[in-house]
Amino acid sequence: MSTSIAALRALIEQRFPDATPLTGGSHITEQVATGIGALDRALPNGGLPRERLSVWAPQGGATAILRAACHSVVANGERSAWIDGDNTIAGTFWTRDEGGLYLIRPKSRLHALRAADELLRSGGFSLLVLAGSEPQGTETVRLTRAAREGGSALVSIGTSASMASLRLTSRLLRYRWRRTPFGDPAEAQEATVRVDVKAIGWSAHTVFPIPVTYHELRLSLESELADRRGLPR
Amino acid sequence: MSYVCLWSPSWPTGADFPADLVAGLLGVAPRVAVGERGLIWGDARGLHGGQLAEEMRRVASDYGFDDTHAGVAMTPVAAEVAATQGTTPLVVIKPGQDRAFIAPYPLHVLSPDERLAPMLEGLGIETCGALAALDAEAIEVRLGADGVRLWQRARADDARWLFRIPPRALPQASLEWVEYGLKDPERMLFVINSLAGTVCTALVARGERAREMALVFALGNRTQRTHVIRSSRPSAEQKRWMRLVREALDTITLPDAVMGITLRVESVTGNDGAQGDLFDRGFASAPAVEDAIIQLTDDQGDVVVTPESSEHPLVEERTTWKRRETGGHPTSNPPTLQPSNPPALNLTLQLLPTPKTVTVDTEPRRDHEVPVRYLDNNEWHDIVEAAGPDRVSGGHWAASYSREYFRCVREDGMMVWLFRGGAQQTTDWFLHGWWD
Repeated sequence: MSTSIAALRALIEQRFPDATPLTGGSHITEQVATGIGALDRALPNGGLPRERLSVWAPQGGATAILRAACHSVVANGERSAWIDGDNTIAGTFWTRDEGGLYLIRPKSRLHALRAADELLRSGGFSLLVLAGSEPQGTETVRLTRAAREGGSALVSIGTSASMASLRLTSRLLRYRWRRTPFGDPAEAQEATVRVDVKAIGWSAHTVFPIPVTYHELRLSLESELADRRGLPR
Repeated sequence: MSYVCLWSPSWPTGADFPADLVAGLLGVAPRVAVGERGLIWGDARGLHGGQLAEEMRRVASDYGFDDTHAGVAMTPVAAEVAATQGTTPLVVIKPGQDRAFIAPYPLHVLSPDERLAPMLEGLGIETCGALAALDAEAIEVRLGADGVRLWQRARADDARWLFRIPPRALPQASLEWVEYGLKDPERMLFVINSLAGTVCTALVARGERAREMALVFALGNRTQRTHVIRSSRPSAEQKRWMRLVREALDTITLPDAVMGITLRVESVTGNDGAQGDLFDRGFASAPAVEDAIIQLTDDQGDVVVTPESSEHPLVEERTTWKRRETGGHPTSNPPTLQPSNPPALNLTLQLLPTPKTVTVDTEPRRDHEVPVRYLDNNEWHDIVEAAGPDRVSGGHWAASYSREYFRCVREDGMMVWLFRGGAQQTTDWFLHGWWD
């Protein structure tokens, strides 16, 4: 009886590799550590699974955490890529000359998916984040296969969790503020984020702080003109 | 022996010089140059100078010039003196004897400058040997730079560059037909594929990669259309060039049937590449990554980018995205990670490409209004904290703008960036981005 179950499990793992659990199976997938200790402890096997699709619900600090994971991958001497499908990455916050971190700004959703497919199949990227261009249906199948061929951890920022081996959601719980002398909020210095991790046979969560970064606010190009004048009421 | 100088007192000089003679001489000498005063130079580097001189004299004799004189020497000046001043039809100067050979000849064999000649005569210097024996500094002080150059020639130190290295022709291949005209792109591709095979094979043999190729169509109306095809990365791969050709053919409209196609390389580069690091974990996959990036760039344009930021007051105007140069190697010296200090974990601003108009409800806070909720996509979002306003104004000499920015935390924890104002002093509210 046990032999037939083991054979059945082996057959399923062979024919439907994406359907096999990340934990508890005979085959343990390799991981890509995010570099955030609290999160890695909450993830099955200590990182984002290679050769698999992970889906992270948008917002709630997903961009910050995944970007940190990309930097961590580069720091370990590997490559990562960020496909900015909706072109929301602000250049002010993107590190220049980050050797192994590639930023792709495609013109359309289809271009974003093609770019993801191309980069995944190259086999040179440990982590690929697809933001703002969520794959659907057969597109997901194709990208999952590409991730398996290339040995990459593919993370899609979206809500469609079909075929995803790992589902993550995050939520910003509270902020720590610096206040004005009047007691008004002046600047959020840190946010506390809760990340929920779900996979087959796995459910965990973690809470950790994330600093908030601002760009330098330049008020006017014309220094001789009065600034902070406000708008007409 | 390096140089053969051929001269005849009877052949015409200047424009009347027989061009056919030079063509005939090229049959025996690899390079021939016609110099001043009716001198013909033959390049004898790597050849037997005496034999080459004899053959050149024989060719000249066939053209009717029986009184030619030839000089063979390691330096042009010695060969010239041997040809023009020698008493026998052929004078061969042994290597190392050039200076000694020209030493007894009078100075006029070096064709001194009209200004220098009387000065040298006044100084009592009559022969090449007498001039060569002088000190260089003394020549420079008394006769200047021209005098030094003449002194060098008198010492058989002649740096004239008689034979320029011809530019190496870049590979090309062409095919023409006259009995029919091609209009079918697939048949054209078949022809071009064959031409590309020839060109790419030639590139590989030369150890070069093409950066640009030109596709020239000879049309039935006796005109030509040229299309330059560029590759993001220099390549000698037929497959890559054929893909670019296919994409180019999709956009090309030709006014008439094609009667011939030429594919020629426009510019090349060597096969040099970046130095890799064997201990780099990404080293093995670097070429594959580079190929993928190039493929992406060829397909979609400059989508692999890196930002260049300015200090413009408007954050959306600060960044220009530049194409990232290809290079598949990860950082060669990765920074060390500290486990307690995760790298670059920060909530940062995500910008909408265009600020989105939203409806905002406000309430007064001392001397200004702050947003308390806003309507976006038919959904109201309550704001629990609002920091601001941060007032930004400028562009008074062009398109003026004036904005009041607020950083607002929604009830679901998301921090959004709202502003009031915009161009021309409007008071509309916009959603500009969020922190994520």
